Parts: sequence; C-alpha cells; structure tokens
Amino acid sequence: MRSVIALSCVFFLLAVFGPMLAPHDPTAINIPNRLNAPSAEWLLGTDALGRDILSRLLYGARRSLGLAFLVSVIGLCIGTLAGLVAAQGGTAADWMIMRITDTFLAFPELVATVVIAGLLGAGTESLTFALSVTSWMRYTRVARGIGLAQKSRGYVVQAKLAGLSPLAIARWHYLPALVPSLTVVWTGMFARAILGISALGFLGLGVQPPMPEWGTMLLDARIHMRSTPLQMIWPGLAVVTSVLAINLCGDALRDALAKQNGHNLRSAQR
Amino acid sequence: MIRSILSLLLRALVVVSGASIVTFILLWNAPGDPALAIAMARYHQVVSADVLDQVRNEVGLDAGFWSAFKAWIGPLLAGDFGKSTVTDREVWPELVTAMSYTFPLAMLALVCGMCVALPLAILATKHPGSVLDRAAIGMASLGAAIPPYWLGLLLILLFAVYLDWLPAMGALSTTHMVLPALTLGLGVTASLTRIIRSGILDAREQAFLPAFRRRCVLSRNIGRDHIAPHATIPVITVFGLELAFLLEGLVMVEVIFGRPGLGSFLVNAIEARDFPKVQAVVLLTALVFVVINLIIDVIYQVIDPRIGEHDA
Amino acid sequence: MLNVDNISVRRGKSPALQDISLTIEKGKTLAVVGESGAGKSTLIASILGMLKPWCGTITWSGSPVRTCRPALVMQEPRAAFNPAWLLKQSVLEPVIARQSNLPPKRLKRLCAGLELTPDLLNRKPTEISIGQAQRMGILRALIAAPPLILFDEPLSALDAVTQKHTARLIAHLQAEEGFAALIVTHDLGYACAHSEEIAVLKSGRIEEVSTPQDFIASPKTKYGRKLRDAAVSLGALERAA
Repeated sequence: MRSVIALSCVFFLLAVFGPMLAPHDPTAINIPNRLNAPSAEWLLGTDALGRDILSRLLYGARRSLGLAFLVSVIGLCIGTLAGLVAAQGGTAADWMIMRITDTFLAFPELVATVVIAGLLGAGTESLTFALSVTSWMRYTRVARGIGLAQKSRGYVVQAKLAGLSPLAIARWHYLPALVPSLTVVWTGMFARAILGISALGFLGLGVQPPMPEWGTMLLDARIHMRSTPLQMIWPGLAVVTSVLAINLCGDALRDALAKQNGHNLRSAQR
Repeated sequence: MIRSILSLLLRALVVVSGASIVTFILLWNAPGDPALAIAMARYHQVVSADVLDQVRNEVGLDAGFWSAFKAWIGPLLAGDFGKSTVTDREVWPELVTAMSYTFPLAMLALVCGMCVALPLAILATKHPGSVLDRAAIGMASLGAAIPPYWLGLLLILLFAVYLDWLPAMGALSTTHMVLPALTLGLGVTASLTRIIRSGILDAREQAFLPAFRRRCVLSRNIGRDHIAPHATIPVITVFGLELAFLLEGLVMVEVIFGRPGLGSFLVNAIEARDFPKVQAVVLLTALVFVVINLIIDVIYQVIDPRIGEHDA
Repeated sequence: MLNVDNISVRRGKSPALQDISLTIEKGKTLAVVGESGAGKSTLIASILGMLKPWCGTITWSGSPVRTCRPALVMQEPRAAFNPAWLLKQSVLEPVIARQSNLPPKRLKRLCAGLELTPDLLNRKPTEISIGQAQRMGILRALIAAPPLILFDEPLSALDAVTQKHTARLIAHLQAEEGFAALIVTHDLGYACAHSEEIAVLKSGRIEEVSTPQDFIASPKTKYGRKLRDAAVSLGALERAA
C-alpha cells in the first residue's frame, strides 16, 4: 500500500519537476544520432529524429498526466454540478439531466472521444474538450444518487427550515457526503483519462508534434519497431505504471472507505 | 412489471434519438471545411474551387442545417442509412462488411475472456489471500492498466517480428485473427476476473450465509443456490461495461492490426468527413449499447424487482 | 397567530387531509391527536410548506408561514443532526442561516433551561444519549426564537421517565419564550396535560376541537370517546388531571 502511494507521489513529482530533470532538449532534432541504442549519453536512446527519449518522456509526463488531471477535474466539476441539480431540482430537471446523461452514456467513452476529437481536428484543445465532454456522466450518477438519499434526511429538512439556501445546503450538507465516493470515481476517471489521451495521441488526434506526449511517442516508435523495439517499450511502460499506480490508490481508498462505513454502521447500530 | 419495461423502452428510444441528433449537430458544426476533406478523399489531390462547389452541392452542404437534417432523418426513419459522400456507394452493405470482420473478433475475445476468467475467479476465491488469488488480482489490475494498443504492439513484436509465428497485419485468414483476439481477450479476462471475483466475495459475505452453515447445508449447495445468484448481478452489469470496453478496444486494435472492421471504418470516415458513414456507426453503436443495457435492465427487474424502484 | 383555513391536501390521488381548519394563538399550544395514518405528518408538512395544499390557505398573522421561519422538533432525535458535524454547528445553523446575531448568553441560558451541559455541544450526534439528543433538537428549534414551533411526536422515541421530564422542560421554556406550539402526538395524556386545545384527527378530517378539560369530561364524537376511554383504561389521563 505504502509503495503504491509512493509511486503515485513519484509520478506527481515527475509531472511537476520532470522537465527540470531532462538532460536534453526534447525537441532538438539531431539526425546523425537517430535511433541510437541506450548509452551513457542517451540513457534510453534516441528516436527517429535523434531526439533524446528520456527527455521526451519527462516532458511528456507533464503533458500526459497534467492533461489527464485537467480533464478529470473538469469532468468532476460538470458531473457533480449536474448531479446535484438533478437531485435538488424538481422532477422535470431531474428527468432532463438523467436523459442527457444516458444519452452520453450510450457510447463507449473512447469511441465518442474519437468521433468528437476527430471532427474538431487534432490538437490539445479539441482533445481536452472531447475527453471532458465524455467523462462527467459517472460523477453525475453518483452525485445524484447520494444527493437523493440525503434529500429526505432529517438534517437536510432542518437546514431547509432554518432558511439555508439550496446552494448552501448543497455546499454544507450534500458535498461533504459526496467527497469520498466522488474521490474514488475520480481516481478511476483520472486513470481512464491518461489512457484516453495516449490512445488519441496514438491515433494521431492528440497532442501535436513536436511536443512530446506518451501516445504520440508510441505512434512514432511503431514504424521503427523492427530496428529499435526498445523505443516502443518506454512510453507504454510509462502509461502502464502511472495508470496502475492511480488505480491501486483508488482501490486502497475504496477499501478504506468501505471499512470506515462499516464501522459507522456498527457504531450507529450500537 | 410491464409498465416499468415500457418506460425502459421509452428511455432507450429517447437516448438513441438524442445520441444521433447530438452527432448530427456535432458533424454539422465541426470546424474546417468538410467539402475539402470529402474532395481530398475522393480525388486524392488538391482540387479547384469549382470542384469544391460541386461537392458542396452534391452532398447538400450548401442547403443549410434544417434541410440537411430533413434529408438525413427522412430516409433514416425508413431504415435507409444513405450513400457515402466519398464513394457514392450505399453505406449499409459496407457497414455489414465491416461488421463481418468486427463481430467474430469481439465474440472470440469475449468467449476466450469468459473461459479463462470464470475458472480463474472461482479458483482464486477458494482461498482468498492465497498465491493464486493474489496472482489473479495482480493480473486483473495490470490488465486494466495496459492500453490495448500497446499490448497489441508488444504481441506483434513478440509473435510476428521475433518468433515469426503469426501474421500481424490484415485480415486475410483466420490466423490473422489470433493476435487481435489475444490482445482484446487479455483485457477482457482481466476485468472479468476482477468483477467475478469481487462478486463472489460480496455474495459470500451476505448475512444469511452463516445461518446456512450453522444449519449444516452442504457448502456445494450454498455455492450453487445462494452465492451464484448473488454474484450474477454484478456479472451481468459488467457485461454491459465489458461491451463498452470491447468496442473501445476494437477501435484501437483494428487500427493497429489493419483490420477493415468497424473501428477502421469509423476512423477513416471521420477523416474523410463521410457524414453518412459516421452517422451510421454512431447510430449502430448507440443502438447496440442501449439494447444490451435494456436487456440487462430487464434481467435485473426479473432477478430483483427492487432494483428498478430506486433508479426510476 | 397561525391560521389554517380550510385546507385539503392530496398525496398521489387519494386525499390525505380534507377541509382542515385550525388556529393557534400566540404563545398557546394546540395538540393534534390521532392514530397513525390519520394525516398528522401530512399536516406538519403542509404547515411547513413542504407540501402544497390542493385548496385552502395557511398563514401566520396574515402572511405565508415561511416568513415567520417556524422550527420543527422531529420524532427521531438524532436524524435532525448531520452525523459529521459537531452538535454546536447544527444547533447554530438557524442563526447562521438567518445571518442574525445570537444575543449573548442565550445559548447558555437555553442550555441551562434544557439541562444540557455546554460540553455536550462539542460532541457528535452519536456520542450523546437519545434523551440528550432530543433536548438538543429542542435547543436547535428554539435558538433563533421562532414564533411557532411544531413538535412531531417529540416524546415517542424516549423512555417513560425521560418523556415526563422533557415534557416539563418544553412547557417551562414555552412560558419563558412565548412561542406558539403545535404538538402532534398519539399520546393523549401528554396532549391533555400540556395544551390549551386538543384537535382530534381521523382519516384526514378533524373530528372535534375542544379544551382538554371538556374533552376528558365529555368528548363530542364517538371516535373521541373511544380515544378517551382507551387512554383512561391505560391510566394515561391521571397525569393530566
């Protein structure tokens, strides 16, 4: 467990400080040194344009992880807001929001993302938009479910009687109850966003060259699979380990919450 | 019961029509000149403004949003997906061809995944915490983290480049299906193992089981009569999720292995702004997805009538 | 003055309340008695504005009840408090929501009146007894000095000794604070002992309204008599006498 958290911290630090550690300029083209094997100077070798793979990985960490973070937070905000409105607003608002949610859920997320990003044209902005727009629905479902359960609770009725505004009730009573579950959903969505960004990058729809990104690096490396297979291993390994670390963190969090809830249940029954 | 199924049907209808309308709006308002993309896909060269105008006129791009919407929705309601704006051939037969590549691959992956995951999960939960159990968990976690396109590339590297046992690209023979199915199947196995395992464990923790044990009901019978039904619900749920996973994986896997299935069909159609084709794939995906989820919802209602109530 | 004027409330298609008219003068207490399912909770929900009457009006001194910010004491004492909050936060919520200032020493005085030690305020709802929780609920209802407080079966979750004690404290505080009270209960003894008027509710209709003395002496309706006789046989009315 501790090792998982440590690993996640390492990735966080890499995303923040990675570029400072990079030994070379990630975009510096150096054709004579192309497709080098790992050596003392190029720790992980060089790619088809002679760029240092380690530096590109480190710069790519910020892009891949940072964008994934951004996307998952945007989704979190939209989704929670929509879920709370559905739970607190009237029947009509609830029906509308839930049908919109179902409509967006009617596609596998990645397929929808590919369609949207493809139509908007490749680039960081359309990638961010496409991923955000397809990643809020789970939060909405969770937020609405918990919100509806809270609605009939005595303390929410009391807060309403006390004259607290719907916004204040959402902020002080609903939101704190949502935080644990939403955090668990969020870790899952964060990991999915990393996978989604690299998938779009791999399809050529993501972050545009010459900026390094793990998925795009895989796409570049694919052509030279026969001559320098290692070049293809590194970015994939980066994606897998970061996703694994985040997923395991989410699992640990969920187990801890389940345990705590069980405890609360017992102490309430006592 | 009938009423709740009817309301589920109505909901599915709203969702499918909503999805296709959203796609149409998105297609129509996407940035860039679709005529240019269509012309490029048709003639593979830079064309003059006259030709562009001609393309616009043919495809109906100059007619405005509403008339285009009517021109699309009218035939669609009669079951006609229209003609490709690039090749001018009917979309439906091409779609059927693409599906004939995708469907067997998806089924093969799903069946392989199920055949490995079910025994693995049952064996793993026999002794929770054992080496086998931990290996199953580890494999499940790893499988959820490996992007299918990378796994595909690794398999190509191993089996096609180094060992030279299997062909990598194309879809000429059944041997071409082995690597893509393996790629998808590993992902499916991982997530199925995870869900079935936790489904069995949850069902075991149900409050009534200790009472059965005390009454000395045979443990084999407990498993069959009480744990299995409880574990079924999450497994059915995951089948819906699995489908999403499969469709997502298919897009990537088909692109990597150069299979002319639905995924490649979609990616190429988007690139060429071939609106009828994109629409057809989106509609088909939404339809399959909604119908499967509808069936799952109905099964839920049959297994446990309480579930429909608090999700109304 | 609370004025419930000829209201009817529907829940789904069936009527839950029909042609209800009630008044409570300032500082007075009205007890509504009746068996479960008679429409007592519906009455409370409509007075608080959580259910819209299908016809009729409910006013406090001529304006909608909401404007006087009535308070509610709930049947289930702990449910009124957010389990994650300190009791102090919940108790002060009405004051904070109104952005009004709490007169100095009011909290202390009310605590003393309800026999709650101030350190209980720094605990969580699960860390105090049910009786204490119900007095906390009363404290919360009183804190912003509302002119009207509704009590929804305030004693039914408590044991007999605590019931008597709490009932006395409520009466005491009412004399001090001067709020109008509507007590919904199925406990006729409590209703008779602590109210100026009694309304008997049956199947969504008011059977009769009278003073406790008149009601004990001679109920006007058959159902009223049945209720009284049942209470007498249980010895519940001795307290009231």
